[in-house]
Amino acid sequence: MSEAAIADKRDLWFCWWVLPFFYSFFGLIFVLLTRVMPPPSPHKTDAQIATFFHSHTTTIQIGFAILMVVIGGSGILNGFVAYEMKRMSVNPAFAYTYIATLAVGAIPGCLMCAFSFLAATFRPDRNVHIIAMLYDVALLTFVGSLGCFATQYLVLGIAVLLDKNQIFPKWFAYVSFWNVITELLAAPVFVFKKGPFSWNGAISFWEGTVIFVIYLNCFILLLRKAVQSQGATEVVAD
Amino acid sequence: MLAAASLWLASRSASVPPMKATAQWISLWLAAFFGAVMLVAFLIFPGFFPPMSPDWSAQHVADFYAHHATLIRASMVIFNLCGLMLVPFFMVIVYQMKRMATPTQVLAYCYLSAAVSGFTLFAIADLMWLIAAFRPLRDPQLVMLLNDLAWIIFTAPVGAIVAQNICLAIAVRLDARPVPVFPKWVGPFSLLIGAAIVPACCGAIFRSGPLAWNGLISFWLRIFAYGVYFVVMFVVLSKAIRREAAEA
Repeated sequence: MSEAAIADKRDLWFCWWVLPFFYSFFGLIFVLLTRVMPPPSPHKTDAQIATFFHSHTTTIQIGFAILMVVIGGSGILNGFVAYEMKRMSVNPAFAYTYIATLAVGAIPGCLMCAFSFLAATFRPDRNVHIIAMLYDVALLTFVGSLGCFATQYLVLGIAVLLDKNQIFPKWFAYVSFWNVITELLAAPVFVFKKGPFSWNGAISFWEGTVIFVIYLNCFILLLRKAVQSQGATEVVAD
Repeated sequence: MLAAASLWLASRSASVPPMKATAQWISLWLAAFFGAVMLVAFLIFPGFFPPMSPDWSAQHVADFYAHHATLIRASMVIFNLCGLMLVPFFMVIVYQMKRMATPTQVLAYCYLSAAVSGFTLFAIADLMWLIAAFRPLRDPQLVMLLNDLAWIIFTAPVGAIVAQNICLAIAVRLDARPVPVFPKWVGPFSLLIGAAIVPACCGAIFRSGPLAWNGLISFWLRIFAYGVYFVVMFVVLSKAIRREAAEA
């Protein structure tokens, strides 16, 4: 620990502090302001969908305008986690995969939802069938972008298991693998309009969200420990 | 070339100890397994045999989705889940490019960022197909719009793949190692594949003929070329990983 104390980690601590800010904004935007989480029902008529947008126009616009800025934090976090993965005794191909899959995830898995909701509220007098299509685009891309996140959880988990440098504890690999399962369980959202497998369902949405929140809290604390425990003399390959 | 090689050797000696190849092999076998699963999805997607025509009317497109909703959803969910599982495979190419005795490592990072663009486009196209199949009974004009977006995004933006292949070709050409990381023929091979894929950029313009999204060039040649590239690179990477392990 004395080694760690003299190491200059200002850049790493900057990255770490983005975590609580990014996810606080994420919750504020998606849960409180834009009503994407928990998702509204896929079983609405076109007229009901139009009403949904009418009654939440202002908060959707404020929330997603903030997201247009806040989403940049995902780039910082991807780089931060990739750096910690490069400290592991594991081929850097996994760290690169982490960056690549989450860079993909930011667009179809997050921003397309925002664009669709913003376009729907941008011209409230648009044909209701088009508004209803934008609603489907938003919620299916947000809940149904599976592979990018599944791959990221898979390589992170495998990297933790292979790693001999003990950057993260081994149990965290299984928390990460559990998220792969939740991505698989979200696949039926493309079929069901009602029930546990619909995009607002007990399994496809709620189970996955609970696991994600557990995972996220573990990850934030473990990343803090990972930064703390890095010694001043540790060499990380370029 | 010799100066570059000796410079590279000097820089190697100062770096960290070599790692086990486990993660590279896992990446390759993930790609082989999920690639095989995606081949099944490709074969069962009703819109590929033959590929859906851009000349269909809106009603024809909507009826097609209504009749084949189950298989369209099944195959596109498989693509959704498995497509990105190929990313580690391409990141092993990035890693191997970084091992090359090139003047700098810049092309490896170029290859990485181009791969991100390519996979992003693939993920978006896949979602468009799935959204079209989610409610096939919506206004046929809108089903056709989603279908057009899926096919255009799937077919036309070839630049990311072409850029990857050009970067790989230049890196292989510049690799000054006595025993190159990838054999020298991988350079021209990579360019040839890129050239076969380029004309598909016209898939967003033509509605019939070989350049249309269902055409001989834009569909069959592009997919065949990409398949060949994947299989050949799988073998090339396997050999490179074995050589790397033998050197260590």
